[in-house]
Amino acid sequence: MAQAGIVEMLGFGPQGWGQVLLLAAMVTFLLTLAAMAAGAVFGIAIAAAKSSAHRGLRALGEAYTTVFRGIPELLVIYLFYFGGSSLLTSVGRLFGGEGFIGMPPFIVGALAVGLISGAYQAEVYRAAALAVVPGEIEAARAIGMSRSQVWRRVLAPQVLRFALPGLGNVWQLSIKDSALVSVTGLAELMRTSQKAAGSTNEYFLFYIAAAVLYLVMTTFTGRAFSRLEAHTGRSLRRAAR
Amino acid sequence: MMFNQMKKRFVERACRRAAAGVGTVVAALGVAVAGLAMTATAQAKEWTKVRVALTGAYEPWNFTLPNGKLDGFEPELLADLCARIKIECEMGTQDFNGMIPALQIGKFDVLMDSLSITPERQKAIAFSRPYATTPVAFVSADPNVLPKAPEGEPTVYLTGEAEHDKPVIDMLRERLKGKTIGMQSGVSYHSFVDQHLSDVVKVRDYKTAAEHTLDLVAGRIDVAFDAVTYWSSALGRPQNKGLGYAGQIIRGPIWGPGEALGFRKSDDDLRRKFDEAIEAALADGTLSRLSEKWFKVDITPRAE
Repeated sequence: MAQAGIVEMLGFGPQGWGQVLLLAAMVTFLLTLAAMAAGAVFGIAIAAAKSSAHRGLRALGEAYTTVFRGIPELLVIYLFYFGGSSLLTSVGRLFGGEGFIGMPPFIVGALAVGLISGAYQAEVYRAAALAVVPGEIEAARAIGMSRSQVWRRVLAPQVLRFALPGLGNVWQLSIKDSALVSVTGLAELMRTSQKAAGSTNEYFLFYIAAAVLYLVMTTFTGRAFSRLEAHTGRSLRRAAR
Repeated sequence: MMFNQMKKRFVERACRRAAAGVGTVVAALGVAVAGLAMTATAQAKEWTKVRVALTGAYEPWNFTLPNGKLDGFEPELLADLCARIKIECEMGTQDFNGMIPALQIGKFDVLMDSLSITPERQKAIAFSRPYATTPVAFVSADPNVLPKAPEGEPTVYLTGEAEHDKPVIDMLRERLKGKTIGMQSGVSYHSFVDQHLSDVVKVRDYKTAAEHTLDLVAGRIDVAFDAVTYWSSALGRPQNKGLGYAGQIIRGPIWGPGEALGFRKSDDDLRRKFDEAIEAALADGTLSRLSEKWFKVDITPRAE
């Protein structure tokens, strides 16, 4: 293996890891996408709980963001993957099953990273909701919009716009968190570059390749977020910001 | 103030509605996950099939080819052992850090990743008999710094018992007197040099193996002392072509119990089957042959 040159090793031939690395980058991308989607669901729920009038709900939301922002991401993944699997296995035994019941690593990884991302997203949504000028809602009500109309036409579009820069940040964090899912054995970019490095003894080469792929991903998605921001803010070009 | 309250109520209501929807989605997801998991493998205890964990990233012990296939010393050995026991073995890769937990919760039944037997690990898992004890060797630019290994005997077996090992150690002391030995600091075989040679030689410690090899090539040290699993790949590199083994490679229990398969402590029956298979593979020379193929040197322990 050590005889192959750098170009061959990163290429697409039979000795090349190029295709495998690109596929792994795709898995990382999809994993982050799934995690962001799950995180949006958790985040909205928690933002709602935190701005609720109900004291219990507020405490719950507070506890969630405190816990998931406060413990290491790696621990959450271990807890979900290994903890979840052993829990499932013992539940399986209760019903007479024997042997190991595994959790699918992609779903567990997406959920674990999603839970963490959800804690950060919750704060982003809450801040965005607070940034909507109260007079606009009052005005919308005054001209006779129903509650759902106000939500659809006034509140939601603005929350989305205000939340975008913050979400771009959370997205970058989540891409990097997804590397921790490598401990479950899922063939995402981190795990695959470790494998390639250890299998060829070319640690530097493959870790640099992975770093470049991560940078490409964060750069391009960062640009996509900037364009989205420009797009959602296009009617406000003249507004003072 | 009024505006604020009104908006707050509004946001709350909208949020509550969103939260209810979210709850349903989460519940549905949960059911889906549970369903998926239930269809996953449920295995009986008569051991027709075992799942074996490797990292797939430790050349040449076990490594992954770009097409995803596993290759190396351990995958080949495993195929042989499983054929002897007549068990179907399925290899899976697992990050080294998650390996022992994955075994404990039953994701895998056997660990095979150049796993050294250590007292700490023995508290958590059970080990088979070792299938490798990595030998350690002197390498030099001057092949005559130690007596040439006799034809057909590239290795010498040391047990760690003073009386048995004395002739070899006396020879080393005599030939290496006044020389400078480079080695990695913190390695387990450092104590061999500390104990037997440090009063007659000069020891120079390095952080990594690559560094002592660079100094060896540059002539700053006379010999370097390291594991043959390192040397077998390092000596193949073009920049080290002037280097070679000096004297016999030292193997045997002097370097500790060795590398073995890991099992759950509750699976004594399975461990015993693999013990017998390893013993048989040692006895008929299969293990030595595989070792020569992958490490260019015999790193197997002696059959008992």
